[in-house]
Amino acid sequence: MSESCKVSSERRGDVAILWTDGYINNQGGEEIAREAYVHLEQGARGLVLNLEKTRIVNSIGISILIEVLEKVMDRKGALAFCGLTPTIDKTFRIMGLAQYAEIYPTQEEAIRGVDAKTA
Amino acid sequence: MSAPASTSAPARIDELWKRIGTVLAGDGPLSARIAEAALAATGARGVTLYFREGENWIRAGEGLSGGVEPGEIPEPMPPGIFHREGDLWLPLRAEGELHGALRLLGLAAPGAPESDALLAFLLGSLVGAHRLARQVRDAEFELKARLLELESLYDLGLSLGGQLDLSSLADEVLFRSISLTDAGKGTLVLFEESGAVLLERSVGGEVLAGRDAAAWTLPEEGVINNLAASVPTAGMQLAACEKCLAVAISVPGRRLGALAVADKESRDGRVLDFTPTDARLLSLFANQAAAAIETARLHKDAIEKERIERELEVAASIQRQILPRDLPVVAGLEIAAKNVPTRQVGGDYFDFFPLSGGRLAFLVADVSGKGVPAALLVSTVHAAVHLQIDEAKTVAELIARIDRHLQKYAATRKFLTCFFGLIEPESGTLRYVSAGHNPALLRRASGAIEQIKATGVPMGMFPNASWTEEIVTMERGDLLCVYSDGITEALDAADEEFGLDRLARLMSAGAPGGICGKVFEAVEAFAGDVAQYDDQTLLLLKRT
Repeated sequence: MSESCKVSSERRGDVAILWTDGYINNQGGEEIAREAYVHLEQGARGLVLNLEKTRIVNSIGISILIEVLEKVMDRKGALAFCGLTPTIDKTFRIMGLAQYAEIYPTQEEAIRGVDAKTA
Repeated sequence: MSAPASTSAPARIDELWKRIGTVLAGDGPLSARIAEAALAATGARGVTLYFREGENWIRAGEGLSGGVEPGEIPEPMPPGIFHREGDLWLPLRAEGELHGALRLLGLAAPGAPESDALLAFLLGSLVGAHRLARQVRDAEFELKARLLELESLYDLGLSLGGQLDLSSLADEVLFRSISLTDAGKGTLVLFEESGAVLLERSVGGEVLAGRDAAAWTLPEEGVINNLAASVPTAGMQLAACEKCLAVAISVPGRRLGALAVADKESRDGRVLDFTPTDARLLSLFANQAAAAIETARLHKDAIEKERIERELEVAASIQRQILPRDLPVVAGLEIAAKNVPTRQVGGDYFDFFPLSGGRLAFLVADVSGKGVPAALLVSTVHAAVHLQIDEAKTVAELIARIDRHLQKYAATRKFLTCFFGLIEPESGTLRYVSAGHNPALLRRASGAIEQIKATGVPMGMFPNASWTEEIVTMERGDLLCVYSDGITEALDAADEEFGLDRLARLMSAGAPGGICGKVFEAVEAFAGDVAQYDDQTLLLLKRT
């Protein structure tokens, strides 16, 4: 697994899709937040985080994801996750992320879900 | 909408009271709502809210990136409201604790002391409540993190219980260990029984090299080293980390590996010390991993055992196909032969070839090695003999032809010893070649025992080897005994061999069938319960 988390993104209408590759820790979380805030500033109302290339998340990464989620909610937007390993899926549910962000099996379902919430 | 700068103190308080309900019930971050309320109540042209985090100050709404510039905050913070560089500062206190400060920009002079004090008190209480809410949220987060640890231990137990692939198992343990200790990196190393590295996994960089970990004297309870950069851990210097935590992965009596994590992260980028709680958690993971790894190893051993059993069955089947089912009936000769394969099917082979003129060719061969390779070589020899026996003019030529065939076609570089004889019952002439085989015994009718020694090297050993053909005459009543070393080298409980002398003493004037039975009974009685690892073959031929 790569040493640092890489984040790439793409805007599709009102939704920005972020792909992570690597460990979502402090550094990885900051990368995600930076990329997410750029899209929010540019008017994106929904965020989809595709974590299919991430196998580890720590509590620092989760707390940053919660900050991102709060920022999205402040703007009346929506955030969804997809491509989670079973372990990360369960982690997000226990840590409360799934209370405010939907978790979808696939990216397309996540985009449709976020679109519907922000329409 | 802000109140004008000239607003009186009572008007400001009124405005604040009006706003307070909106602040408490409104949307958005509380810090932003407090700032908005202060702006509306004071008529300042701007407002900055600072929070106190331990010994540090941060600007509200900017997260940890909102660190303040040196000198931006008055240190120490005066106890009451004060004016500084054109701004009004309201220290925000609640229950005697300083929670933050409100900087009202462009308020040249304080308002009425009682109204500003009330403003500071109200906003201080709000910030205090805000801080309390954050503490509750943090505590809730911590609680969830502990729940996640417990769930992870439970899940790991379930997941590893059915996990027989060591590689996936190692990943599962390492990922969870790094994740739940908030480590920046980690390494898991597993060793073979010999101590060699079987598997090595790292995330975020290698904490310890496998070859070093193998020699690492790591106590069972693990090691916390929060000064890894300068202090060796358990006699070993770790690479490229500041703080580390390592535990052994072991089962009683054997060390299976080591698990190490390093550089515990914090939100503000500092590397934190590992705690005894982290050590306990990692030890629990290591214990679960050890049990799962041992299960996987036992499963692998069982599969290997099954594979060997199957191979032995194949070898035994080959051997059964090759050995003659019936003994030949030849005028002037009494014949007995028997092969007792051991559990680790070896490469003993005997055969008879009735030839023209009442002659009989026979052989006893012993192939080096065990199992399928040995059985295949026996099969090759069997085919070669049957192909060449009608072509060769002498026994020596036949042996040389078979040897060349083996050198050319045998799949494995193995050799065999062989006694090949050709007897003419009418005259008693026995022509033979012994290619490195054990000395055969010739019991004369008189009872005298002669040894028939090797006439050349084992077959398959040297290219272009040759053998000498010898001739001996068997008189009527003489008994020839050819055997494999599984008989003479059978071991008893004291590790003593059955030996040639014991075999020779069993050679009597009786019928070969009876003698054969007695030899095997004697060998079995001699060996007792000691498992034998070599095939036993005996061929007896008596001239009548």
